[in-house]
Formats: sequence, structure tokens, C-alpha cells
Amino acid sequence: MKSVRKEFHHPFIIRLTHWINTVALAIMVASGLRIYNASPVFSFKVPEALTLGGWLAGGREWHFFAMWLFLFNGLLWFGYNLLTRHGRQTTLFRPSDAGGILPMILYYLRIRKAHPPVRKYNALQKLAYTTIPLAAVGVIITGIAIYWPVQFGGLTRLFGNYDSARMWHFLFMAAILSFVFGHLCMVLIAGWANFWSMITGWKRIRE
Amino acid sequence: MNTNRDDSLGPTPDSPGRRKLLRYAPLLLLAGCDMTPEGRVESTLRSVQSFNDWVQAKVFDREKLAAEYPDEELTPEGGFRVNGYDTDRPDIDLEHWTLTVEGLVAKPGTYTLRALQAYTKKVMNTRHCCVEGWSMVPKWGGTPTREFLRDIGADPNAKYASVECGDDYYTSYDMPSLLHPQTLLCYEAYGKPLELEHGAPVRIVMPVKLGYKSAKWVSKIVVTNDKPGGYWEDQGYDWFAGL
Repeated sequence: MKSVRKEFHHPFIIRLTHWINTVALAIMVASGLRIYNASPVFSFKVPEALTLGGWLAGGREWHFFAMWLFLFNGLLWFGYNLLTRHGRQTTLFRPSDAGGILPMILYYLRIRKAHPPVRKYNALQKLAYTTIPLAAVGVIITGIAIYWPVQFGGLTRLFGNYDSARMWHFLFMAAILSFVFGHLCMVLIAGWANFWSMITGWKRIRE
Repeated sequence: MNTNRDDSLGPTPDSPGRRKLLRYAPLLLLAGCDMTPEGRVESTLRSVQSFNDWVQAKVFDREKLAAEYPDEELTPEGGFRVNGYDTDRPDIDLEHWTLTVEGLVAKPGTYTLRALQAYTKKVMNTRHCCVEGWSMVPKWGGTPTREFLRDIGADPNAKYASVECGDDYYTSYDMPSLLHPQTLLCYEAYGKPLELEHGAPVRIVMPVKLGYKSAKWVSKIVVTNDKPGGYWEDQGYDWFAGL
């Protein structure tokens, strides 16, 4: 006989900031690509259908609107984690987690049969969830470096020059997008109950 | 942007309707159409843009200098970019050109190129950043706008100044940016008189703002306390445009 129990996975603030972040990121990326297309710093353009704003001025308006959403939502998330110590044991990657990386890779490659023991997130997940906020910090800092190359010229120089700072800004965005891609794949594989827990907080587990 | 009327900033040339539409957007708002979802989105974005202009004015440090580059890092003269087409060469009588100054100044009137060149010339290699994302470092030369404005008794407490150009381009500035030590009434590039497609005889060069503030073919400056607009700004580009 199978039994169903519920497990609490995601506190309210984490769920709230997750979905605000989803919206903010979508706007930032789509409008950012519209700005990028006006004068690509790499040798390719992005299909207009993936962009937001209609023209350069519109892309800028959206981008510099959603940046506040992205920033303050991120600060709320960061502040919450700091104050409540949420995820310290389950999500934050620590040096002691390094030993868990290889077994997880072997498991994903189907070389190792048994799932290595985990509490909530495995070593690879911890690594991803810990590095992605750093990419967010990177995208914000490089954003300031190219938004204010005179007022914050030191930041611009930190990333080389104006054009290389633009490249870094794009690369941090690409790092975030590659995380999003992997994240969505995992969500699809993990199934409905897992997805639903990011909305209600509770995950139904059949045993 | 380098050319005043650079249409590559706008929608594709085959869709002139959108710009026309945007120009009349404020009328639609007056008509109460801001209750439509599109109208509400548009007015929200505009409000945030105004807020961002305010933030930019607060962040702007009037003493902070834009980086000046050594000659080896200059953009080669061949790369001194002109970005436009139909208004590259407006009909300007270089022989009889004058700069008109109006508004809150003690000595309004018209000033000749020779009068502007009487000041100590400032030469600087600064980055010109187009709103599109490209940039270049030309060697600029000209009269610091602050020297000229001080000399003709511009009201130091005035808030704004607008400029009009030989190609009916127009734009405007906050006074602190216009008085920035690197803001030039520029009449030289690469040690030679400015060429027509680069704004001859006199253009604004303002390294602390995006390129669309570096107006070419300047013909008139008006010092005022009423916030003026601009050719691109009135269509949706941010007014402060600080860097």
C-alpha cells in the first residue's frame, strides 16, 4: 500500500522571489538582446522575435525598468537567506561537498547505479544554486560598468575597457541562461509534484 | 549615435508609422487611453524612465572626469564614424555662421566662430559612446562650454539649456553637465577643422553623456529654467543620458 505524505520545501519569501525573478529575468534578457542588436559586440545578431521593446528606445525603457525589479528582488532574497540562515545546510555549497561532485556526475552518466545519499540537494545542485547568485552579482556589476562608464569608470576598467565590459555583461547573462536551461530540464524530469512545491511550498511524496 | 538624425536608432526605415505613433502617444494619454493595458505599460515605463533620469542626475559628479586616452589609443581617423545618410551635409553657410545665445544670459546675441576660438583651446581624447553600443575615441578640440557661458554671463543658477542645430535637430541638457570641464564647443577633430559631416563648424562634445547629446551643427543655445526636450528624447530616449 502506497502512502502519500507532504514535505515542506520552499518558504514563502523564497517562492515569491523565485517567481518575481523569473519575470524580471525574462524582461531583462529579452530587452537586453534588443539593446545588443542595435550594435552587437559579438559577430552575431539575435532574432528580433526573441527581443522586447520594438526598437532601441523601447528596449532601454524595459531594461532600465526591470533592473530595479531584478535588483530589489535579489536584495530581498539575499537578505532573507542571511537573516533566516535558510538553506545553509541544504543548499549552500561548502568545500566538504566537493567530494560529492564526482559520484553525482557518475550517477547522471549512468555509470553509477545508486543515487548518492542527499538531504535536499545533491553536490551538483548545491554548486549550481551557490554559483548562480554570483553570476547575478556579475551581471549587475558589469551592467553598472557599461551604464555609467564615466561615473563608475573604475568598474569599467576592472573588466578591461568599455567593449570588453559589454562582452562580460553578455557572458554573465549567458551563464545565467545556461543555468536556466539546466534548471528547466531538471524540473521537467523531476515532475509535477516538484514543480508544484515551488508554488505552494509543499511537496507530495509517495512512498 | 554620431549623426544627429541617425535613423538607425529608430525603427526600420520601412516602418515609419511607429515613430509617428510614438510622437502622438502623449495625446493618446490625454485622451484617457492610458486605461488600456498598453497605455498603462507605456506610462509605467515612462515614469520609471523619469525616475532613472532623477537617479542619474543624483549620481552625476560634476567634478568626475571621463577617461582621457593616450594618442596610441585613438580611433584611427578613418574610423571616425558618421552614422547617417540624408542629413549628413546640411546646407550651412560656413563663411557667415554664427552662434545665437538666448535666454538667461547677461550678454545674449550672436557669436562668430572667431569669438569662440578666442578661448584657450582644450584638446582631449575622450570616448564617444553611442546609445547603440558602439564607441570611438577621437581627438577633439574646442572651447570648454563653461568658459564661454561664464564669459557671456549665463545664469549659474539656471537649470537647463537647449541647443538647436543646422539640420533642425535639437536637444537639451542639465546645466551641471553643460558646465562640466570636458564639455566642449568643439570645432576641431584630429587637429583639423571639423568636417561638415562631423558637425562643422561647431558641435557639442560631451563625454559625460551618450552620443545623441553631442549635437552637431549647433546654431543656437538657449539657457532656461523650463525643461526642454530633444529630437530623440521626445520619441522615447532617456533625457539625462548620463554615462
